[in-house]
Amino acid sequence: MSGPSFHYIEATRLDDALAQGARHGATYVAGGTDFLQLWKTGLAAPKTVIDICRLPLAEISYAGDTLSLGALSRLSDVAAHPDVKIHHPLIADAILASASGQLRNMATLGGNLLQRTRCPYFRSAGLACNKRAPGSGCGARDGENRHAALFGTSSGCVATHASDLAVALAALDAEIVVASAAGERRLRLPDLYLLPAPTTAPDSSLADGDVITAISIHDACRFAPRSTYLKIRDRASFEFAVVSVAAALQIEDGVITAARLAAGGVAPLPWRLHGSEAALVGRAPGKAAFAAAGDLAIEGATPLAKNAFKIPLLRSAVIRALQTIGGVS
Amino acid sequence: MTVTQPPSHDARERTPPRIALSLTINAMRYEIEISPSATLLDVIRDQLGLTGTKKGCDMGGCGACTVLVAGRRVVSCLALAASFDDAVVTTIEGVGTADHLHPLQAAFIRHDALQCGYCTSGQILSGIALLSENPGSIAEIREGMSGNLCRCGAHPSIVAAIAEVAGL
Amino acid sequence: MNAHSHARYEALLKVTGQARFEGEIAPAGLLHATLIEAPIACGELVSVDAVEAPTRPGFATLVTHDDSASLKSSAATTLIRETAIHFHGQPVALVAASTLAEAHDAARAVRIATAARPAVTQMDQALGAAIAPEMVGRFPAATRRGDVATALGEAELVIRNRYSTQVNNHHPMEPHVVVCWWEGPKAVVHTSTQAIFATRATIAQAFDMPPRNIRVLARFLGGGFGCKGQLWWPWMFWAMLASRKTGRPVRLELSRAQMFTLVGRRQQTEQDLALGFANGRLTAITHDVVAQTSAHTDYSDSTAVYSRLLYACPNVSTTHRLVRTNEPQPVPMRAPGTAPGTFALESAMDEAAERLGLDPLDLRVKNFADHDQETGRPWSSNSLLSCYRVGAERFGWADRQKRKKRDGRWTIGFGMATTLYPAIRQACRARVRLNGDASLVVQCGTQDMGSGTYTALGQIAADALGIPMAKVTVELGDTWLPDGPFSGGSQVTASIFPAVQSATAQLRAMLASMAASDANGPLGGKTSDDLDFEGELIRSRSSNAAERLSDVLARTAPDGLVAEGESAATDHPKLAATGMGHGAVFVEIGVDSALGEIRVRRVCAAFAAGRILNPLLARSQYVGGLIGGIGMALHEQTLTDRATGCILGKSFADYLIPVHADMPEFDIAMIEEDDPHLPGSVKGIGMLGSAGIQAAIASAVHDAIGKRIRHLPIRIEDCLGPACDTAQR
Ligand SMILES: Cc1cc2nc3c(=O)[nH]c(=O)nc-3n(C[C@H](O)[C@H](O)[C@H](O)COP(=O)(O)OP(=O)(O)OC[C@H]3O[C@@H](n4cnc5c(N)ncnc54)[C@H](O)[C@@H]3O)c2cc1C
Ligand code: SF4
Ligand code: FES
Ligand code: FES
Repeated sequence: MSGPSFHYIEATRLDDALAQGARHGATYVAGGTDFLQLWKTGLAAPKTVIDICRLPLAEISYAGDTLSLGALSRLSDVAAHPDVKIHHPLIADAILASASGQLRNMATLGGNLLQRTRCPYFRSAGLACNKRAPGSGCGARDGENRHAALFGTSSGCVATHASDLAVALAALDAEIVVASAAGERRLRLPDLYLLPAPTTAPDSSLADGDVITAISIHDACRFAPRSTYLKIRDRASFEFAVVSVAAALQIEDGVITAARLAAGGVAPLPWRLHGSEAALVGRAPGKAAFAAAGDLAIEGATPLAKNAFKIPLLRSAVIRALQTIGGVS
Repeated sequence: MTVTQPPSHDARERTPPRIALSLTINAMRYEIEISPSATLLDVIRDQLGLTGTKKGCDMGGCGACTVLVAGRRVVSCLALAASFDDAVVTTIEGVGTADHLHPLQAAFIRHDALQCGYCTSGQILSGIALLSENPGSIAEIREGMSGNLCRCGAHPSIVAAIAEVAGL
Repeated sequence: MNAHSHARYEALLKVTGQARFEGEIAPAGLLHATLIEAPIACGELVSVDAVEAPTRPGFATLVTHDDSASLKSSAATTLIRETAIHFHGQPVALVAASTLAEAHDAARAVRIATAARPAVTQMDQALGAAIAPEMVGRFPAATRRGDVATALGEAELVIRNRYSTQVNNHHPMEPHVVVCWWEGPKAVVHTSTQAIFATRATIAQAFDMPPRNIRVLARFLGGGFGCKGQLWWPWMFWAMLASRKTGRPVRLELSRAQMFTLVGRRQQTEQDLALGFANGRLTAITHDVVAQTSAHTDYSDSTAVYSRLLYACPNVSTTHRLVRTNEPQPVPMRAPGTAPGTFALESAMDEAAERLGLDPLDLRVKNFADHDQETGRPWSSNSLLSCYRVGAERFGWADRQKRKKRDGRWTIGFGMATTLYPAIRQACRARVRLNGDASLVVQCGTQDMGSGTYTALGQIAADALGIPMAKVTVELGDTWLPDGPFSGGSQVTASIFPAVQSATAQLRAMLASMAASDANGPLGGKTSDDLDFEGELIRSRSSNAAERLSDVLARTAPDGLVAEGESAATDHPKLAATGMGHGAVFVEIGVDSALGEIRVRRVCAAFAAGRILNPLLARSQYVGGLIGGIGMALHEQTLTDRATGCILGKSFADYLIPVHADMPEFDIAMIEEDDPHLPGSVKGIGMLGSAGIQAAIASAVHDAIGKRIRHLPIRIEDCLGPACDTAQR
């Protein structure tokens, strides 16, 4: 299917985009890969599309241990960039585990972070879904919910966020730079997302017209030698995560001095595992420490009828990721 | 069941105006008018009649619509055509002809890397793009080609054909 | 006949993008159509309010049930003549407009009112109401031989389990499409169908017109796998009605999402299977199948049929029952019956082998059926034992336990299973024309879904007349050609072979007598059984004499020669022997038990299916079938929302099929058989790969991690569990 047609405006300057984007019925499009899926299934029907893909926001720079990624950079360019590969291989790993070669050539960083959930009820126009139609109910909660979240859910929505990149960025404490007509602001990555309320579940905290201009990561290249993105899926490639874990460790003199862990496929936003991180710091890498981190990772998980397997899976995934980078099994 | 239909037509709905687009496809320049919501796939396949590019899913999930834009592979079904003004596009029609096959096309024939042929254009374009990324192993070819589905199950021969051209 | 790995006849067209699929025909004035779908799973269409739609730009016409009133009533028109709604997404109207986007816009302006009734959206809601069909395909649905109860009572070992398989969808890469128009009383229908002649016959019946006024074309088909058949007809009829109403050509193409609802599915099964053994031999089999069918049409795969004959066993009872649900209609899909049926039977055989302390391969050999025990007939040929032996050797089955059981994160497991599929022929005709320049045209109104029909037809004719493939033109997919077989059930090559052979035999006889009758020619006076056809020559076997075909033709038939041949359908009741193709599949898999991930690493399969015309293309068919089987085993599952009956996740991002990264190494052995009962010793090969492998994979999972999974698909959650949480250890 196709949706109703729209007016097309190509933005060449950020201030133009911001002015246009705040208008009623307008939406931004960057790579267009999520937007067009939504439009074709009747889930997005803007009056005007403001194409921001040619805004000069695709630069990648690294200076003084701050990596700055222009939000309109394409995923494949980011994954192939030497500064990313050398200083933040976790980002490259997460990107290369995403979608397909073709889609990575099209998709932008900003668009990837703002893609909507893959919950099949959300993506089927007629079904009950609070995220799509507030107050209509949640088809997934008592329906097919193998894909659903373990953490951060509400009675009204149990969807997960699908981005792999966001999980890696959450682990690296990335900041999102947002421009609006009122000026520029910075958000911690998790604050880009909202937890669901009882009958509504908007995904992002951005206001209409806000543009993500960049993502920046400070003081994290110390994790470069020990980081991994572990993505578990039913087939070997080209599938959204069933569960994923971004893990990074810093080990000095046989002791873990810093740990970062975030999980994907288990929550409405990339889920930082602070408890697990705390349990690792100050300990020697090894079986006991990793098992403790695994146990803490699943604390508070609330399963539904068909996704309980994600609990042991998440635990195992955390342990496996730590084994991979911890230098010991 | 009742069917209600009005007696006459009156076209009062206004669709957004068409917009101008220039594209270079297979070294031919096209100056056309398109609907602002048209995908690159619809423009190539329906409007320009270059039907070698296939529509398998229209949702980015199969790779049948793969074309190259400035040498990079994209799925044209999720490409908003309006975004591609002045783009340089290669479709299967521009890859090689019966008399001058691209080495990968010839390898596809030798390895019988196709059955129904509906995924084939996409596989070949994706393969050509992947070859330019210098895959170092069979595993890398398999991973790199995973955006191109094949329901007939020609995968092993497709990978063998790409591996042969890659010299692996 | 000689085997030869000719390149695929139409490969050049396909690798250059020049092959025109039927949906790519673009007549002037073409309208684009779209279907409006019912938002309920069960009930009645009450009204279609189309006041708004015609005001939309480009709108051309609306087709509803009212328009179908002009069609004759038949199975193919029920859904468009009756306003009952049987499944979510059932089309209730068609809109045509100048462009597809305009058709979608106009369709959005049409208001549909429906009245819903309570729906049965999943099989388990109506198990009690299951019905017993009389037939499953051409087989009786329920059979009983011997005394099963006593045999099970006396057995030394009884394996009794329930096996289940999920709904799968075919998903040929090309969605169903039609481009059609009327030329006065005549209809031209370009459509992606596996059966042009059946399509023509149904159009003739529905539109009450003579078949000769209808031309159906399907020269290239982007896959089919069983779904490009009858379920497409009602929607194709609506496109034809739209064309008739507007006087313009109309194109209707299904969306990928509609490929989940409108063109069929592999039915869900729950199978209760019991095997009784004494001394390692099967003494009893009971196989009772409950499967899903739609609320409007009963369909059953022949799921338990193969349990009647795969192994030697005196006491066998099988039944099939159907549960009608408000879900889409099932139809045959890739190895219908054998895929789900062997999953149960062969999984159970593996369990039995374990309990009996026998190698699973030895148990199969021990229970080999040396004749068809259901009919008492001999096999027309049966090389299953060779398949076991050759497959096992090439795979290294005997010493598998000595191999390492771990490779990095993977725990390795091995499994094997048997596959089989009946060899059947359809009646058909073929025409062969030899042109004056000794080039050949072979014509048959069949289709090539990617299975190599163009190549096979060309090769059979070329071989018989000693003409190189480069000089052969093959024409198919057009009802102007002689009646060809439908593409399905692995029957096409076997069906066309006798027809083409008969046509070429006539040509050989004509040519031989033409050559021999010229007293001054090099072959003057030779008898026709002394003459052979080779290298574009007619050649005497007894002497060195030869004459070029083109010279013979120039002299006596400068305009060329034409002959038609016929094949008869398999006459099942009168058969002297049962025709069956066989195979043995061996797999090596890896399971990462901490993460639940399963990957197939290596597949070795030995197949025996008569004589192979073209090993290159046969291998493609076998491998393609095996990959389909891997999908069924590990990935594919169509989900229905219980509350609404809506199919969920109607995209390739949700319905997973194997991708390149999932591919194992394949080793295919083809065991040639001479079959005195089958013309040319040709059996079908297409379905063999798609069965057996599911059970082999399930057995390998058990071998790796000690868990018996008795349902498909086998996924992460099945392989995870405290027992496999190696990360803990
Ligand atoms: C078959 C398939 C498989 C996929 N698999 C994966 C996967 O495994 N992992 C994964 O992570 N993703 C996956 N994806 C999703 C894919 O990565 C996203 O579609 C893509 O990243 C979106 O980026 P885009 O630039 O195309 O976004 P668009 O479609 O252009 O934009 C999406 C939304 O973000 C908004 N937006 C975009 N950029 C900005 C900005 N700078 N500021 C403000 N708003 C903005 C737009 O308004 C729009 O609403 C898959 C997609 C498909 C089709
Ligand atoms: S989980 Fe959220 S997105 Fe899915 S149906 Fe419920 S409300 Fe909608
Ligand atoms: S048609 Fe574009 S990816 Fe399937
Ligand atoms: S050859 Fe048929 S889908 Fe690939």
